Amino acid sequence: MRDPLRRATTIAVAASLVGVLALAGACASDSKKTSTAASTITLSVDDFGSFGYDALYKQYEAAHPNIKIVERNIATLSTYTPQLQQHIAAGAGAGDIVAIEEGIAVKFMAQPDKFVDLNQYGGAALQNNFLPWKWTQGHSADGSKLIGLGTDVGGLAMCYRKDLFAKAGLPTDRAAVGALWPTWDAYLKIGQQFKSKVPGNGFVDGATNLYNTILMQTAGQGQNYTYFDKSNNLVVDTNPAIKTAFDETVKMSQAGLSSKLQSFTDAWATGFKKGQFATIACPAWMLGLIQTDAGDAAAGKWDVASLPGGGGSWGGSFLAVPTQSQHPKEAAALAEFLSNPQGQIAAFKAKNNLPSSPEALSDPAVTGFQNTYFSNAPVGQIYASGATSLKPVYLGSLNQEVRTVVENDLLAIDTGQLTPAAGWTKAIADAKRAAATG
Amino acid sequence: MTLDLQTAARPKPAPARPPRGAWRNRLDAKASPYLYISPFYLLFLAFGLFPLGYTFWVSLHHWDILGNNHYTGLRNYQLLLTDPDFWNAVTNTVAMFVIATVPQLLGAMFLANALNRKLRAQTLFRMGVLAPMVTSVAAVGIVFSQLFGRDYGLINWLLHFAGVHNIDWQAHQWSQWTAISTMVDWRWTGYNTLIFLAGMQAIPRDLYEAAAIDGASRRVQFWRITVPSLRPTIIFTSIVSTIGGLQLFTEPLMFNQNLMQGGSLRQGQTVAMYMYESAFQRFQYGYGSAVAWMLFLLIIIIALINYLITRRLAGGRI
Amino acid sequence: MTVLSRRTVTRTVERSARLWEASPLTYITLIFAIVLSAFPLYWMLVIASRTNQDVGSIPPPLVLGQHLFENIGRVFGNQNAHFAKALVNSAIASSVVAISVVFFSSLAGFAFAKLRFRGRNALLLIIVATMMVPVQMGIIPLYMLMVKIHWTGQLQAVIVPFLVTGFGVFMMRQYAEQAIPDELIEAARVDGASTFRIFWSVVFPALRPAAAVLALFQFMQTWNEFMWNFAVLTPDNPTVQYALAQLNGTYYADYSMVFSGTAIATVPLLVVFIVFGRQIIGGIMEGAIKA
Repeated sequence: MRDPLRRATTIAVAASLVGVLALAGACASDSKKTSTAASTITLSVDDFGSFGYDALYKQYEAAHPNIKIVERNIATLSTYTPQLQQHIAAGAGAGDIVAIEEGIAVKFMAQPDKFVDLNQYGGAALQNNFLPWKWTQGHSADGSKLIGLGTDVGGLAMCYRKDLFAKAGLPTDRAAVGALWPTWDAYLKIGQQFKSKVPGNGFVDGATNLYNTILMQTAGQGQNYTYFDKSNNLVVDTNPAIKTAFDETVKMSQAGLSSKLQSFTDAWATGFKKGQFATIACPAWMLGLIQTDAGDAAAGKWDVASLPGGGGSWGGSFLAVPTQSQHPKEAAALAEFLSNPQGQIAAFKAKNNLPSSPEALSDPAVTGFQNTYFSNAPVGQIYASGATSLKPVYLGSLNQEVRTVVENDLLAIDTGQLTPAAGWTKAIADAKRAAATG
Repeated sequence: MTLDLQTAARPKPAPARPPRGAWRNRLDAKASPYLYISPFYLLFLAFGLFPLGYTFWVSLHHWDILGNNHYTGLRNYQLLLTDPDFWNAVTNTVAMFVIATVPQLLGAMFLANALNRKLRAQTLFRMGVLAPMVTSVAAVGIVFSQLFGRDYGLINWLLHFAGVHNIDWQAHQWSQWTAISTMVDWRWTGYNTLIFLAGMQAIPRDLYEAAAIDGASRRVQFWRITVPSLRPTIIFTSIVSTIGGLQLFTEPLMFNQNLMQGGSLRQGQTVAMYMYESAFQRFQYGYGSAVAWMLFLLIIIIALINYLITRRLAGGRI
Repeated sequence: MTVLSRRTVTRTVERSARLWEASPLTYITLIFAIVLSAFPLYWMLVIASRTNQDVGSIPPPLVLGQHLFENIGRVFGNQNAHFAKALVNSAIASSVVAISVVFFSSLAGFAFAKLRFRGRNALLLIIVATMMVPVQMGIIPLYMLMVKIHWTGQLQAVIVPFLVTGFGVFMMRQYAEQAIPDELIEAARVDGASTFRIFWSVVFPALRPAAAVLALFQFMQTWNEFMWNFAVLTPDNPTVQYALAQLNGTYYADYSMVFSGTAIATVPLLVVFIVFGRQIIGGIMEGAIKA
C-alpha cells in the first residue's frame, strides 16, 4: 500500500515541477516573442467555413521567411460570430486578420475604432481590385475608413446528384436539369416526381440552405434588403421576400422532400457521404464544403445546374485587421495579398469561392475553370457570368441574430416540432425579441 | 454536511502550546495558523467571493460588452421571470436532473449492494464501474452524440430490432432529456456506487445476521436495513448530484453540436447554457448575471427539497 | 443441551458466511455493468480506428479498424486544431493546480486540525460554505476581470483562480485530524522546531496518502474543466476540452479524426486511473465515510 502511494506523490511532485518549469518557459518565450518580434512574426487568421487559403499561406510564407501564418478556423458562422465579437470587444483574443461575413459586416463596420484603417497601409490604391459595391461595403458607415477588403461573393446555383437523378428517371445533363426548374414551383414538382421514384432518399438536404438561398435571391430581385430595411428597422413581418422564402421552404418540407438535416453538422456531412439527398442549393463557397464533406467516394457524382428562379448572391466575406493586432502592418500586407485578384483566383481554384474582383472574374483561369469533382462542371462560367451584374442586399447589424432564430423555427417545422402556422408566428416573435435584445 | 460542522465544533485535545522563548517563537505560534490558511481566503476573495458579489452588482445593471452600464434595479430579474426561454431552460435543467439522478442513485445503490459481497477480482469490478468517471467530459458528449445519431447511430440501430425507427434524438425535448441524462448517468453512476459501497461497509454485519436468523430475505434486508442505514450517504450523494447536475453544460452543448441554444427549439438548453448565451453570445452581461443568481437560487431550493424528500423517504430524522 | 446449542452456532456461522457470498446472478449483474461502462470507451477506439466511410455504415462498426495511428497522426498534424499544444497546456494547468491545491490545502488543513487560533471554527465554517457555491456563478465578472488584467487567452487565466479549493482544505483537515497524533507535534515543538518545519518534516509526510488522492482528483477535475476555459481562452491556445469542442465543431465531416481526438484526450486520464485506481477508489470511499 505504502509504496505505490509514495510513488504517486513523487510522480505528482515531479509532474508539477515539470509543469511549473514549462509554464515559466512558456512565459519566457512569450516575452521573447515580443522583444525579438523582428525575427519571426506569427500572424493568425480567424475564419469560418472554408476560405481555401492553404496554398496562399505557403506561398506567402515562402516569400516572407519571417512570417508564420496560423489559421484558426471555426465551421459555423453562428459559433464564429459571438467569439469574434467577444474578442473584438475584449481587446484581446482576435486574430491579426479576421474574416467578416457579409451578414455580420454592418455590425463590425459600425465599430470602426476596433479595426485598423487600411488606408494607412495604402488601401486606397486597391479600389479597382473589387466590385464597386463590395468596395463600398468594406468601409465604415461614414465611408471615411477602409475596414474590410472583399474576398468573395456568393453566386448561386443548384447542385445535384447525377446518380440519384438517373435512378429517378430524370435527366442528368446539367443544361437539361436546369431546364427542369425555371421556377421554385417547378422545382417542387420535380422533387415530388423524384420522391415517388426514390422514396428512400430526400430531395433537399434540409430547410435552412434552401430558405437562405430563396431569401437572398428574392431580396436581390426586389427591395434589396432582408430582415432589416436600409434604415435598420426590423421588417421581418412585412418584407415579402421573407414570407416567400419561408413558405417555399415549408412547402418542400411538407411535401416530404427534406432529409431534415441541419447544415454544418456531422449528420449533414454523413448525408453527403451516403448520398442521402439529391439536391442542395449551393452558393459558390459551398462547393468546397461539399467536396470535403462528401469525400473522395462521391467524386464525379455531383454536378451543378442553374438555380430555379434566376440568379442571386448569398454570402461572401471581407478580411479586416483588428486594432488589437500586434502587427497591423504585416497583417494588412497579408490581407491585401489574400484579397488581391491573384489571391482571389487561387481561392477560387481551391474552394470555388467566387471572386469579388472584376479582374479575377474575367480571368480565363476563372471563366474557363472546370471542377473535376463536380463532373467537370464549368463552375467558373456558371457562377461568374452573372456576378458582375449582382446587386448587393443590405443586411442589418443584427442580421445574424435574427437569421439564427428564424432558421431555428424552420428547423423545428422541418422536423415536425411546429406546425407551419405556429412556426411563422413564433419566428416573427423570436425575430422581434432577437432584434430588441441583441 | 451537518456532520462536518459537528466535528468542526468538537473541542480539540492537546492544544499546540507555544514554546517559551524569543518573540520569534511567539510570533510563529500566533501568526502561523493565519498565514497557512490565508492563501485559501485570499484566492477565494479574489476569484470566488468578489465575482459572486460583483455578479449580483452587475445583475442590477444594463451592462453591455464594452462596459457601458446603467443601473436598472431589479429589472433584469423582472424580465427573467417573464422570459419563456429562461423557464424553458429551468424546465430542461430540472427535468434532466430528475431523470438523471433518480435512476443513477437507485442503480448505484443496486450495484453497490452487488459489490458488497464476497467477490473475486473485487478491485477489477470496482475500477470497472468507476472507469467512465475518468473520461474527458467533452469526449463523452461527442461519443454519445454519435451513439444517438438519427440515421446511423448505434442506439437507433439496436432499437430498430424492436420495431422503433430512426428516432431523431436531437429534435424532441423528451429525447434530448433521455440522451443527455444517459450520458450523465453513464459517467457518474460508478462514482456514487463507490460512495454507497463505503456506506454499506460501515453498517454492522450482525444486523444482517440477526435479520437472517429471523428469516428475512435478502430483499427485505436491503430495504429494511441497508437503505435506512444509508440515510446520510443518500443525502450526501443527492446534494452532490444536485450541485453538479444543475450546472450541466458541456454534455448538452456537445450533443447539440456546440450550439448554445441547445436545439432549434432550445430542447436541450440548460440554465448554465442560457447564462452563457446571454453573457457571451448576446453580450448582455447584466441579464446573464441575473441568470447566474437565479441558478444559484435554484440550486439552493432543489438541494433543500432534495434534503426534505430524502429525509422523508429514508424515514426519520437526521 | 450443549450439543444442540453448538449445532445452532455452527448453523448461524454457516448462514452468515453464505449471507455475504456472491451468487452467479451478482456476477452477471456486475459483468453487465462493466460492459456498459466500458463499451462507449471501446467504441470510441473503434471509430477512431476506422475511416470516415465506415462511420456512417449500417450496421454500425463494432470491431477495431486499422487506421488508429493514421487518424491520430491527422489530429496532431492538423494545424488548426492545436491539439499538441492543448495537451501540453492541460498537462501544465492540471499539474500546477494539483500541486498547488495539495500544498495550500495541506497547510491550511494542518492549521485547522492541529493549531489553535482565534476564530478557527467560524473560519472553517466559511470554507465548508464555499463548497456549496457553484463556480459558474462568477464567470461573468471573472471574465471582465481577466480582460482588465489582460489575461484572456493566457493559460494562467485557467490556473490562478483554482490554486486552492475549499474542498481540498476540508479534506486535508479531516485527514490530518485523525492521521497525526498530537504527541508527534508536541515532541517536535519541544525540540524547538518552528511551525513550518513541523509541517514540512512531520505533518506533510504523514498526510501523503490523502495528498496523493487529492492531487489525482484535482488533476482530473482541471483536465475536464470546460466552460470557463471556453469563455476565456482562444482557439490557438486551448486546453484539451476546448480543443475537442473545436475539433467537433469544425471537423464534423471527419469523425474518425474527431474520435481520435477524444481518445487522445481520455487516454492520459485512463492511464492515471489504471496506475492509481486502487488509491482513487480508496480515496473516494474514505472521503465518503467522513463527509
